[in-house]
Amino acid sequence: MYELLLTGIENILEFKYLAPLFIGTLVGVFGGALPGITNTMTVIMVLPFTFGLEPLQGLAAMIGVYVGGESGGLITSTLLGIPGKPSSIATMFDGFPMSKKGEPGRALWLGIWASFFGGLLGGIFLIGTTGPLAAIALEFGPWEYFALFIFALSMVAGLTGASITKGLLAGAIGLVVTIMGNDPVMGAPRLTLGMGFLDGGIPFLPVLIGVFAFAQIMSDVEKMGGTRSDATSGFSAPKLVVSHLKVVWEILSRPFLLLWASFIGVLIGVLPAIGGSAANVMAYDQAKKFSRHPERFGTGTPEGIIAAEASNNSNVGGSLVTIMAFGIPGDAVTAVMLGALTIHGIQPGPLFISQHHTLAYGIFAAYIVAHFLMILIMFVGVRWFMRVITVPKAILFPVILVLCVIGAYALSNTMTNVYVLLLFGIVGYAMVKGGLPLAPLILGVILGDQIEINLIRAIMTDSNPWLFLTRPISGGLLVLSVASVVFALWQHRRHHRRHPPSAEDNVDF
Amino acid sequence: MGRDGIAGLFCLVTSLGLFAATIGLPEATLLVPVGPGFYPRIVLGITAVLSVALVVNDLVARRRSAAAGPAQPDVNYPLVLLTFSVFGVYVAILPYLGFRISTFIFVAAMQALLDPPRNGRRWLLMATVALATTVVTYYVFETFLLVLLPRGRWTDF
Repeated sequence: MYELLLTGIENILEFKYLAPLFIGTLVGVFGGALPGITNTMTVIMVLPFTFGLEPLQGLAAMIGVYVGGESGGLITSTLLGIPGKPSSIATMFDGFPMSKKGEPGRALWLGIWASFFGGLLGGIFLIGTTGPLAAIALEFGPWEYFALFIFALSMVAGLTGASITKGLLAGAIGLVVTIMGNDPVMGAPRLTLGMGFLDGGIPFLPVLIGVFAFAQIMSDVEKMGGTRSDATSGFSAPKLVVSHLKVVWEILSRPFLLLWASFIGVLIGVLPAIGGSAANVMAYDQAKKFSRHPERFGTGTPEGIIAAEASNNSNVGGSLVTIMAFGIPGDAVTAVMLGALTIHGIQPGPLFISQHHTLAYGIFAAYIVAHFLMILIMFVGVRWFMRVITVPKAILFPVILVLCVIGAYALSNTMTNVYVLLLFGIVGYAMVKGGLPLAPLILGVILGDQIEINLIRAIMTDSNPWLFLTRPISGGLLVLSVASVVFALWQHRRHHRRHPPSAEDNVDF
Repeated sequence: MGRDGIAGLFCLVTSLGLFAATIGLPEATLLVPVGPGFYPRIVLGITAVLSVALVVNDLVARRRSAAAGPAQPDVNYPLVLLTFSVFGVYVAILPYLGFRISTFIFVAAMQALLDPPRNGRRWLLMATVALATTVVTYYVFETFLLVLLPRGRWTDF
């Protein structure tokens, strides 16, 4: 395994892979620092650039975006008190107060080095568990796959948003998208509604791009046009000089905190479709609970910054595990990666690591090297990234939308995918306004075909429907699916009793 | 009926309509024990049930809390509608005018819409951004990444 990893690192250090990895990390840090631009949005923007590249070049760029984005968000969080993205909100709780106390360099670099160490711990988990998990999944029959996908969907429906009914409905809508077009077993056309372009079904990438891009852009556009807020008024670059040895020691002298926060990040990453934002807040909360001085949290304590940043970077490692071992995206960013792989004719799943081991170990290597590049980029350019919030959204949004159009068009060089993009852009925004979470929808669209194929395969192998329950793994997963829905129902009821729902509940990107 | 109720009703009507459309689909064969309509009917059935649940939840919640709902934040819906419209026009003109002309128009129009230029300098900036976006994306994608972008049916450009 380690020989393969070393070969992977050697490969990735070749210029043709290192260049896209570096550019991806740089773009990721930039996008991460931009308030309101999530990692999903940045990776969607990068997607069309990867079409003309080799699979590993494209994936290296995306992994760079992912790692860079998780770290970039902390710059504006700690120095300006404006979270670059949802997964750096908890970083702000202690990072900004520490900055205000006159230690901006310490706050920033505690976050950056914690990201680095957390990310590397996530990498150890990624490399160590992907192979064994894929080996387990190889033993699965269609019953187990069907149950696994149902479990993933039910988990996401329960975990995202404040209403389990809406989560499940959003997942079901995703499945409805996949039943249009030729059926995957007999090839018979169905539910095409007389529209020729639906014959081949609805491809998931334009759906994903449309849903996420428009949901986010329009949610920002609807707040524009009023009084202009100038976030940078009175902005002056703070002094960021700091002793790196001291900062690194501050982190490494708290090994339990670092390990526990990274573990939470990995665990949240493995769960499908809930990402860094949950990991960030949950790890912060845990650090506060375990601390001997919980009252110091929120006033600029280093523990808060370390926990929040270590968890959101290790979360990336966890997300990559599920896509590489099971073919289930851990979040929207890995869903885009899955799309990029399928464009090159590669299907992620249990066979991925054995059939494409050069690519798999290339991904591991890219993930590790990206963390070193991130540190390098931060050393050189952190002052620049602080100024990214001065980029007006009126310039940024049209450019993003043009890249979305190119991404959708270039998939098959037809306008059909661009029309799908527009249609699902409207659907995505309507869902946000209707309070329906987007993550279950996307997971439904991605897993829909596989759920159907495995269901039919199971029935064709043996028509006894009880096998779904009597086969131990399949039965266990289906029981867990029901349990996760029941647990989510109980949790939502408890939450609603304590906090009545608000108008902006359930909005989830 | 509130936001959830309307969303639920819309999903219910759509799923029932699609369910009706599965009725004419071919039935099972000897080789495949279930027809192409089997799985869609399950999915649409579940969607319909969940839609009903959403409507019922909404009605029950409204009955319980007769008080006014939470205050809506200030939302600029006309701007959202205009943004969608400008994007819709961009998508519509793309195959006729080609990538370069329509992208220039779109990027300029979107900037003008989201942050109307107030002086000559801003007009110049707007045109520069539109031109740069068009030239850079076209050059990078067509030359470096070998991704072909749409040519205009009317302009052949």
